[in-house]
Amino acid sequence: MTAADETQTAQKLCADDGRAISLTKVCKTFPGPNGDRLEVLKDIDLGVEDHSIVGLLGASGAGKSTLLNIIAGIVKADRGRVCICGAPSDELNDWCAASYMFQDDRLLPWRTALRNVEFALEAGSTPKAERVRRAGEAIRLVGLDTFEEAFPYQLSGGMRSRVALARSLVTEPRILLMDEPFSRLDAQTRSHLHNELLRIHGLMGMTVVFVTHDVEEAVLLADEVAVMSPRPGTIREVVPIAPSRPRDPIEPEVAAYIRRLRELI
Amino acid sequence: MAEMIEQRALSVPVKRGIRLGLFAERLVLVAALGAVWWALSLSTPPYVLPGPQRVWSALGIIAAHGDLWTNLGITFWRVALGFVFATIIGLPFGIVLGANRRVGEFFEPVLPVLNTVSSAIWAIFAIIWFGISNATTIFVVFMTAMPLIITNVWQGTRAVNADFIELARVLRMPDWKIMAKIYLPTILPYFFSGARLAFGFGWRVSLVAETIGSSSGVGYRLRQAADLVRTDQVFAWTLTLVFLMAALEMGVLSPLERHLFRWRKEAEA
Repeated sequence: MTAADETQTAQKLCADDGRAISLTKVCKTFPGPNGDRLEVLKDIDLGVEDHSIVGLLGASGAGKSTLLNIIAGIVKADRGRVCICGAPSDELNDWCAASYMFQDDRLLPWRTALRNVEFALEAGSTPKAERVRRAGEAIRLVGLDTFEEAFPYQLSGGMRSRVALARSLVTEPRILLMDEPFSRLDAQTRSHLHNELLRIHGLMGMTVVFVTHDVEEAVLLADEVAVMSPRPGTIREVVPIAPSRPRDPIEPEVAAYIRRLRELI
Repeated sequence: MAEMIEQRALSVPVKRGIRLGLFAERLVLVAALGAVWWALSLSTPPYVLPGPQRVWSALGIIAAHGDLWTNLGITFWRVALGFVFATIIGLPFGIVLGANRRVGEFFEPVLPVLNTVSSAIWAIFAIIWFGISNATTIFVVFMTAMPLIITNVWQGTRAVNADFIELARVLRMPDWKIMAKIYLPTILPYFFSGARLAFGFGWRVSLVAETIGSSSGVGYRLRQAADLVRTDQVFAWTLTLVFLMAALEMGVLSPLERHLFRWRKEAEA
């Protein structure tokens, strides 16, 4: 097969797959410390339905973040097929914008909350007035209306996370990728932000893929949890979480899921 | 929302009472210095230490002939020009040195060498190369200010947060926008403090350059007054300069810095 043929086949295979994200036999190795190859991901198969929430759960070193970065297009897979919204990931275009939320908030300290949200729209050629209008909407969506003009140092950790969330939502993404997004917050603030995320998901219906090492977080948020195991990174099992949201970890049914996933990782 | 309660003060309250008190204290300081000067001048001959009244009338004479403003203007213009050249060269050069490791390592020894050369030596070179002209003073200011600006901008470039670059790349921001939106705002505080230092140094060395390599400007007038043993005029020029620099610092630079960098968390006492 020539390279052009290969591209065409990939396009067709991706187009036939109706899911928001679809990974087939994805492999990734990194150069190890002693010149050997470190197998980070091996034969990963993963499908994410449109509008669903999927958690990637595993101990550290299981390749969760690498997998997320491959979906985001930050890291390229060595082998295998990555389809995003029915197109090969390297041909990802605007109509299916994927947004990435980092582990830390990464707010630019010299910009106000509003201007930080606006930043996500500045890569393209969106006119200033529209940027400001949309950034304002996103800020209101995360409940920070009165803090538009505050600088990051004037905001609490939870508020900074909200600004970062608004920044990843302002582009109106169809897919939201989150790398342990709230892991640096205290338990209470974190729980607030979980509720916020679910509320916004109900409004916008974006597909969400998040990485976590916290079993409870995975069970509370996700429709499906992909449990990963390390060396080499593989998906051990994909567990659908049946109870309807919002979920309470004290409920016996939810607690049973938490116990089961604890045993798996 | 619980974390909302944790709201920090959105504007730093300026306590007017305290500021006014500080202003009064400074007035007292100036008055005390003036009194000491006056007392000392009573027991000294005027060509050694002229009293405040003599200096005031000398100032009046200089100002009346238009001499004061013409020469201040000339000196200021030379300093500004040298400073602008130093910025035009220093800013991009500092960015390149910081952004490119190899270039940075190659040029690293040049800056300390430039910084150790005395301004008086630059002044002598300038006279050899440019003679008695505007270029002499401009050159000396330039040679003094440029290494300061380069050093500071270089430091600023190294302070750029790699995480912010990654954020911009994930958003598919083109390189020139990353330069404008991440690099420049990070460098600006460093550039500002470098520029401030460079401008202050520039003023001081411009006088040295003018005393030996010029036939106009404040430095030339200072030397002339000294040669004619008009100590009252030397004092008049000096006081004017001190006053102008203080006004520039307190009236323009400090407020500008406070406004530009209002996003910085103030160090709590």
